[in-house]
Amino acid sequence: MAGTSASIAIAIDDLKVDYGTQRVLHGVDLDVAPGEFIAILGSSGCGKTTLLRTIAGFQKAAGGAIRLFGQDVVNTPPEKRGIAMMFQSYALWPHMTVLGNVGYGLRLRGLSKADTRARVEIVLRMLNLTGLEDRKVTQLSGGQRQRVALGRALAIEPDLLLLDEPLSNLDAKVRIQVRAEIKSLQSRLGFTAIQVTHDREEAMTMADRIVVMDAGRIAQVGAPKDVYDNPVSPFVASFMGADNTLDLDVRQGASGLEVMAHGQDAPTLWNGNAPMGAVTAYFRDDVASIQAPDAKSEGAIVLPGSITQRTYPGGHYRYVVATKDRHFTVTDDRYLDLGHPVGLRLPLESLHLFPSAQ
Amino acid sequence: MSRPSLLGFLLIAPALLMIGVLFLYPLGFSLGAAFTAGGQPSLTHFEKAFELYSTDILFTIFVVVVSTLLTALFSVLIAGVLTLSETPWLVAGLRALYRWPLFIPFIVAAQCMRTFLAKNGLMNNTLVATGVLEPLQATSFLDWRGIIITFVWKQVPFVTLMLAGAMASIDRATIEAGRNLGASRPRILVELVLPQVAQTLLVGLVLSFVTMLSVLSVPMMVAGSQPTMLTVDMAFRINSYGDYATANALGVISYALSAAAAWIYLRHNVKREVQA
Repeated sequence: MAGTSASIAIAIDDLKVDYGTQRVLHGVDLDVAPGEFIAILGSSGCGKTTLLRTIAGFQKAAGGAIRLFGQDVVNTPPEKRGIAMMFQSYALWPHMTVLGNVGYGLRLRGLSKADTRARVEIVLRMLNLTGLEDRKVTQLSGGQRQRVALGRALAIEPDLLLLDEPLSNLDAKVRIQVRAEIKSLQSRLGFTAIQVTHDREEAMTMADRIVVMDAGRIAQVGAPKDVYDNPVSPFVASFMGADNTLDLDVRQGASGLEVMAHGQDAPTLWNGNAPMGAVTAYFRDDVASIQAPDAKSEGAIVLPGSITQRTYPGGHYRYVVATKDRHFTVTDDRYLDLGHPVGLRLPLESLHLFPSAQ
Repeated sequence: MSRPSLLGFLLIAPALLMIGVLFLYPLGFSLGAAFTAGGQPSLTHFEKAFELYSTDILFTIFVVVVSTLLTALFSVLIAGVLTLSETPWLVAGLRALYRWPLFIPFIVAAQCMRTFLAKNGLMNNTLVATGVLEPLQATSFLDWRGIIITFVWKQVPFVTLMLAGAMASIDRATIEAGRNLGASRPRILVELVLPQVAQTLLVGLVLSFVTMLSVLSVPMMVAGSQPTMLTVDMAFRINSYGDYATANALGVISYALSAAAAWIYLRHNVKREVQA
């Protein structure tokens, strides 16, 4: 395995973690390059925070290896790993000032009071917190506390920063701002970062690579666009937002594939790749469009239906289209009457197709 | 504010009555008795109290202060281990054992300590049997040391119970954040955990201080000789001489010592309120 090389910041090799008799991580493998920003994405209970805590050393591994720059740390206590971590609750020490919190790691490293203060000032300037050194952390706003927590982790100039849902306690506007700030700090300072989140957009906008986790296993690793456009499993597809499903029947025809949906009179011919037999298509709302019910479309399924609901969220209309047995949400620029017969067009190349048995 | 309600007053009246009859009246009475002689305001009883018992006053302060400090030390150590240790058997053992003295009354504890700490008691016999001490080196601990040992043994579980509860309720991530930055566990205990539970520690210690100040059985049974604690002196003045006046004066001095502890606690509270 390539993880033995010191040119890899973190190499996780067949990592297993148990809570009592319950196994929560079932052999996770992951390599992270120096300077890379990784987002671990998954729903609650998928093991993403456990993975992060095991890297930090707060959770004991039941098997496998974690190598930091080539050194196996799986049995090293957290205080000796030299990894900085930012906690979901920020975990600031309420009895200390901003200076006390941010400078604590420096004090542990034997820096003098003056040096600590000077270094903390630099960190606070970087985080737009100048002048707050002597303020108690309990007197800060949520956004400021979040930055102090980030500053405390960054003050020791770590090679590796772990972030446990760092933005989940912030309101939407501040979150978007801090997202950009963390990302730009990371590219400027060059540390390796692993961030746990359940927010897909956060993962997509911040990370170089996304790790999607499901039930204690890695479901897919890849660049955001790659994972978004080419999910490898129904779980990843629906987690990345393709949560509409449609059952299809795929057969090999004389001149390509014949794809037939329930409610269609004739199969659609297609020259793409798809599993044979009963197939479930996963797709996002935005790939569907409205056209005339009898229009033929090359490489796209057209389901006959009618409009049952119309709303105007701004910029375009949003319609609910009822087909034979389902309802789909579609957007369109045109104004259409309720009950108007339409064809719901689904381009086959935009659908994620998986065998139904899966 | 609405006008005072009669019903509200009636609701608290039984409680007020109890405080009045069982606490305020005796307190007022003993204060009055301490500061009067022959119906006139006088400090005679205090002069007598200081003349006869100034050594015991100092002895009482010494014993209670040292006991409180040692109680703080051991409670912090035990609560710290319970909170921060990663050795499951140590935590389980300590958790099972440390509460026991809570359920033993002072008088029983004192009796146990008499047999344990005496010159030919269990402790010295064990030390002699194991060869740590020569029989001639064995000394009795039944003096100020015995009182302090009994007080600390009895009060540590109480303060530890409060402290361990408070430590368990702080955000665990604040401990992990310290470890993450490289802090050793003793440093985490002293610099990160203890300041967050200082309030609880202080309450526990003030309560212990006042409790130890008012215990009669331990100084009487563990160290019968002079100097002794004020509670023994008060009992002696009343039982041997029927001298309530001097006993009351000694009681007022005990109140003053308790009040000093309460004042430290209140001052700390006010400081926190102002900061918050």
